[in-house]
Amino acid sequence: MGNGPSAPKITKQDRAILDLKLQRDKVRQYQKKIQEVLNREHDIAKQQLAAGNKDRALLTLRKRKYQEGLLAKTDAQLENLDKLVSTIEFSLIEVSVLHGLQQGNEVLKQIHKEMNVEAVEKLLEETAEAREYQREIDEMLSNTLSVEEEEAVQSELQALRDEVLAPEDASRRAQELPSVPATAPAAPEQEQEPEPERPTEREERERVPVAA
Amino acid sequence: MTTSMSTHTTPSGYLLPSIHSMPPFFTQQPNPATQATVTENWTRLILSYARHRRLFYLRVEDAETKGSEWDEVLRNERINRRLMPSHMSFIMADMVSKNLAVYEPPRQTRTVLLHWRLPEEWAEVLHEWASSTAQLNTILTFYEIIEPPVPSPLSGIPATLLRRAVAILTKTNRAQVIAVADGEGVRFLPGNPAR
Repeated sequence: MGNGPSAPKITKQDRAILDLKLQRDKVRQYQKKIQEVLNREHDIAKQQLAAGNKDRALLTLRKRKYQEGLLAKTDAQLENLDKLVSTIEFSLIEVSVLHGLQQGNEVLKQIHKEMNVEAVEKLLEETAEAREYQREIDEMLSNTLSVEEEEAVQSELQALRDEVLAPEDASRRAQELPSVPATAPAAPEQEQEPEPERPTEREERERVPVAA
Repeated sequence: MTTSMSTHTTPSGYLLPSIHSMPPFFTQQPNPATQATVTENWTRLILSYARHRRLFYLRVEDAETKGSEWDEVLRNERINRRLMPSHMSFIMADMVSKNLAVYEPPRQTRTVLLHWRLPEEWAEVLHEWASSTAQLNTILTFYEIIEPPVPSPLSGIPATLLRRAVAILTKTNRAQVIAVADGEGVRFLPGNPAR
């Protein structure tokens, strides 16, 4: 198989990035080396001092100082390299964003081409026409009913109304009943008697729970 | 003798199996069937200890001298036993024949590179790491993978093993090696899982 067709091509930019990163790695390795030397020289200076060789110890420490300076310099270089790598990688992302925007723009243009103003107007007109046509059909259908059929429909509606409103009528009739009696004179006396009793009963009922 | 057998936790936190405190385990057995069991147990022990300590190389020298990082396993002071260099060479040869290790560098038999993960498994770990750290489509140097600024599952992996894993990924179009005058880099690609 090897490198199939789906593997992206290696561009000049890719090589440039790799080159930079390799340089960066070299600087890092160099720093590591210097750090090792620094540690070792510190130990050596100590040993020399312990052995009484003050001059040697001083020399070693001077060397060490110089190496420290180198380390600081490489730090700055490493920062430069890192910055450059980051900048390139960020620019590549910007390029891909631009590409995405371009494509989106293309698609939007295409869609607009299919959706021009005249087409929309025409479509709306056609819709209105269709609605008008539908209304005409409705009218025609309602007009085709004969007089008898219309009467039948009306009576069916009346029957339905009776059915739905029947219980209401019955209750209304029941309410009307009390107002009818007027001929019987004995009725008022009978009615008067129970009415005074009711309040007392209610009072008693209320009193009982309070007393208990 | 069996009563003295027990597991033991080493200073590095590794739990040695009870067989490690059995003296015959350290001696090369004349009976091939018995030796096969011993070899199998040593292989398992070596690979599991290597994984525990992230050790990649085993050298005959480790059995010859004291003070190597393998002391906890190759020696048992409590029963006064150690693995003899000849016995270890035998075990190493057996591991190489089973692809659980390879002679590294080739054409010598004193040092092996241990396969506590097979190169195919390393390839998966590598790709998984690249995608989980969003480094797909980014060009990486080998040094950057071996010694990343933040520790990763691949920190300290030997370059040869890394190369082998990358080669496996290139076959399935999940990695691409880029070479320039100064060295090499690799770019991981999303790709579809192998096969």
